[in-house]
Amino acid sequence: MHGNTPLLSIRELKKVYKTREGELEALGSVTFDIYPQEFVSIVGPSGCGKTTLLKIIAGLLPKTSGEIFVDKKQFDPSREVGFVFQKPLLLPWRKVIDNVLLPIEILKLDKRNYIEKARALLELVGLSGFENNYPNELSGGMQQRVSIARALIHDPKLILMDEPFGALDALTRERMNLELLRIWSESQKTILFVTHGIQEAIFLSDRVIILSARPSRMIKALDIELPRPRTMEVRSSAEFGVYSLEVYRCLELT
Amino acid sequence: MNHVLKSTDSLTPPSRLNALIRWVTRSIQKNLNSIFVVLGFFLLWEAAVWVFRIPPFILPAPSTALSHLLFPRAEANYRWSYHISSTVLAISLSFVATSTVGILIAIALAWSKRLKEIILPAFVFINSLPIIAIAPIILLWMGYGVFTNMVIAFLVGFFPVVINTITGLEAVDEDLLDLVRYLHASKLQVFLKIRIPNALPYIFSGLKICSTMSIVGAIVGEFIASDRGLGYIIINAQYSMNTPPIFSSLILISLAGALLFTLVSLLERILMPWTAFEAEP
Ligand SMILES: Nc1ncnc2c1ncn2[C@@H]1O[C@H](COP(=O)(O)OP(=O)(O)OP(=O)(O)O)[C@@H](O)[C@H]1O
Ligand SMILES: [Mg+2]
Repeated sequence: MHGNTPLLSIRELKKVYKTREGELEALGSVTFDIYPQEFVSIVGPSGCGKTTLLKIIAGLLPKTSGEIFVDKKQFDPSREVGFVFQKPLLLPWRKVIDNVLLPIEILKLDKRNYIEKARALLELVGLSGFENNYPNELSGGMQQRVSIARALIHDPKLILMDEPFGALDALTRERMNLELLRIWSESQKTILFVTHGIQEAIFLSDRVIILSARPSRMIKALDIELPRPRTMEVRSSAEFGVYSLEVYRCLELT
Repeated sequence: MNHVLKSTDSLTPPSRLNALIRWVTRSIQKNLNSIFVVLGFFLLWEAAVWVFRIPPFILPAPSTALSHLLFPRAEANYRWSYHISSTVLAISLSFVATSTVGILIAIALAWSKRLKEIILPAFVFINSLPIIAIAPIILLWMGYGVFTNMVIAFLVGFFPVVINTITGLEAVDEDLLDLVRYLHASKLQVFLKIRIPNALPYIFSGLKICSTMSIVGAIVGEFIASDRGLGYIIINAQYSMNTPPIFSSLILISLAGALLFTLVSLLERILMPWTAFEAEP
């Protein structure tokens, strides 16, 4: 199903935070591969180190031990990563459109070439007409959708998403799931997606990585072999139920 | 797709201007009470002077002070417009210079941790010197003139600007920094795109303190190092026990203070339009 060289290989990754109360082992030992154009989800109990894992991959946190191999032939990790954080993190002094264009400025690309794209992305996340508003004029869910547009503006190959739809209502969330699948299938991106939603993870992914409670280990990497393109009907299929049960069982065992 | 929201729902530039106008009218309404308080204070003062027959060389009535402004007396024929404009110039130059230099110093110190560790303690030391005591030395070194005046005002007012600006530059949410760090933003980019805009509210609260400090500094400068301005009138009139012009000057000085403070607040609103929609009453 996927190419032979992984885009990203994570080997026995371990993270220990040094806090005032002593050492806190967030990631026990995590090992997995992500292949180009895969959609991989990570589920696990709250506080098990999912955000930590993404931040280490993005180079925002130092790892304690283990290895991360990046296939630099396939992509440039300093320019071709998009990160959707758990919080929207919009800059309050920038209008919506300028928030979306922030990565373009940071990467010193020509902004003029991206303004149309920024508008298109805002339309995609259902926010056309809000280009010139300030973030504090938007709801939490709208802000998070702006941050999704921002993570896509520089056309990253690898997209890291940390519970991007957590703040959205169920209906918008479903819609965003479908849109995300569309973007993903049309643009040959690789997505690593953290979520609390087990159904969401199964619906979106090629593979669901299930982490245990802290210090987290990988309980299972569950291949989801549901047909694509996936539609809402998939969710009511028998296989879907089997997969959910499997994930629930894994999480309960911890 | 969710196209229920049409583009007309968004806030367009004209409505932003309206918001600014709304803010101005609201501020005037809010300050109406304090204007009444000030007026009431002057009325009480006026009444007290007449009722207790206080001689003008001890406490002149506000009306007396005002009449000295409008109709200068032969015994103290101050050219008010000349002195007022000289003080206004001193205050404005001092304020602009102190804010600009203060902000630039703060950026330099926030940029380099080592520089900050060396320089900031020295600033604390300078700031705790009684300025009245060192102003004569500055005069000795630099002579009379508006520049001396600016240096004195700078020494009085730079500290709150520097401290507030540094605080603002450093009080950035770590997560906001992550947002540009994963794209390998340079230190300059972090300053230009995150730290400096983030510091704006802090800078403005520093500037508000500085606006009053600049007035103190400019007047102290005129006391000691000038032959013109309202500070000079106060000293000069005091020699001849001619009290009313002193009070005329004091009233003008507080007026200047209120004006400068208002200008800074207005500038804050204009430069930080994203706060204009917060907290409608
Ligand atoms: N900067 C930090 N310093 C110390 N401990 C931290 C730090 N960040 C996270 N932790 C701890 O590490 C553990 C994992 O945190 P992390 O944010 O990665 O969890 P998570 O899986 O993303 O949780 P959630 O699903 O609630 O977002 C938690 O127990 C947390 O308390
Ligand atoms: Mg998290």
